[in-house]
Amino acid sequence: MDNEKKMTDKEITAIGAGVAILGSLLFYWFGQFISTIELLELAYGSLNFFNNPLTF
Amino acid sequence: MLNSLLSQYTRSLILVAVLLLIVILEVLEVRAAIYPGLLPFFEWARSSSWLGLIGTTYGSIYATVEAVHLLSMAVIGGTVLATDLRLLGVVFRDLPSETLTKGTHKVFSAALISAIATGIFCAAGVGDKVYYMEVFWIKMLALVAGSLFVFLVKQPLLNSMPHDEINPWTIRLLAVTSLLIWFTVAATGRWIGFS
Amino acid sequence: MINEFLLDFAHWMEAQQYSQMLVAGYYSYSWLEATHVLTLMVSIGSLFIIDFRMLGLILTDVPASKLADRLHKPMIIGFVIMFITGALLVYAKPVETIQSLWFRMKMILLVLAFINAWVFNARMKAASGSWNTDSVAPKSLRNGAIISLVLWCGVVTLGRYIPYDWVDCGITNNTTILWAAGCVEQLNAL
Repeated sequence: MDNEKKMTDKEITAIGAGVAILGSLLFYWFGQFISTIELLELAYGSLNFFNNPLTF
Repeated sequence: MLNSLLSQYTRSLILVAVLLLIVILEVLEVRAAIYPGLLPFFEWARSSSWLGLIGTTYGSIYATVEAVHLLSMAVIGGTVLATDLRLLGVVFRDLPSETLTKGTHKVFSAALISAIATGIFCAAGVGDKVYYMEVFWIKMLALVAGSLFVFLVKQPLLNSMPHDEINPWTIRLLAVTSLLIWFTVAATGRWIGFS
Repeated sequence: MINEFLLDFAHWMEAQQYSQMLVAGYYSYSWLEATHVLTLMVSIGSLFIIDFRMLGLILTDVPASKLADRLHKPMIIGFVIMFITGALLVYAKPVETIQSLWFRMKMILLVLAFINAWVFNARMKAASGSWNTDSVAPKSLRNGAIISLVLWCGVVTLGRYIPYDWVDCGITNNTTILWAAGCVEQLNAL
């Protein structure tokens, strides 16, 4: 009961907005990470960042 | 009953309404409908507006404004890092987090205004390019979300009561979200230059 | 003389496998550049907060030396990352960079900025009295902060100019600029 009383309007908003924004950002960056890995794989046929066709 | 709910939880209800609105607009594909209508504005900004004309005619002015944009970004970064890392307990552990939150806000706001002003100039100069970039729109979205988050959610909560009365996980959530959102705004900005 | 030496050194770096790999990699150069620019938020960000505090613009209720002390570590970490990524950026495109007038001016400002930081630090430690809790630092420290702000703004601006080709070797005919930028071949051809 005491805990519920402590949750102010501003705190609920903060948690709600925080979760929504942080969730979408993590979703975005995870998607970027996957597509980058896929692109590198397409380009070099391997995940090795330095596996460069020019020199190896 | 409804009245007391409205007066007691105004912010929370507004947040729910905003989130719902975003979902509904997305489902109704309003974004896809508005997007083509924005192209003339970006083309005008690039080729007819004063900003676009100055930016495309004088390369040195454009580059200097870009530098001011970067410097504003640095100040935003400095204030955000100092404040949010304090909230996470990484730096300034011997200073009250209230002091840092309040003390850096003015400089943060000034730097944000400077960054937005110089950013509009930079975007106008390449208006026909950025319009087609996904990363530009991601940046704009993150910028709007970040500004609303800081001014309407984070600061009001942190200024409303002593920080040790707020649930520590709420504070951590606020700090991590703020750090990641400003990092996203900066990083996507850098990527606009590469695309 | 020094221009020839620098150019030879640049050609030597350019011929190396790793230098070519950095430029040719799908993302490597962009990632380096992005890291270099984004770390501004840590290095210059911390530094400017300290300078602003000396001028009484931020966190005036925090003792100045305490703020400087606590921000010292993040600032140094930021500058180390800037230095490493910056050196790698030069290493990736050595000839272009070493023959860039902006890069050379930036390096001069960097040296000046570090000398200023060193003097500033010594003065801060030597300063005594109640200045530490005053909202504005004494004049000598304020001057140091202003010089630091100006120099670092210059460093960032010149860094931003480097990719632009306004005064590149092949473009200008001004002998002073050619000499200052180290365009050995163009100077010899004139």
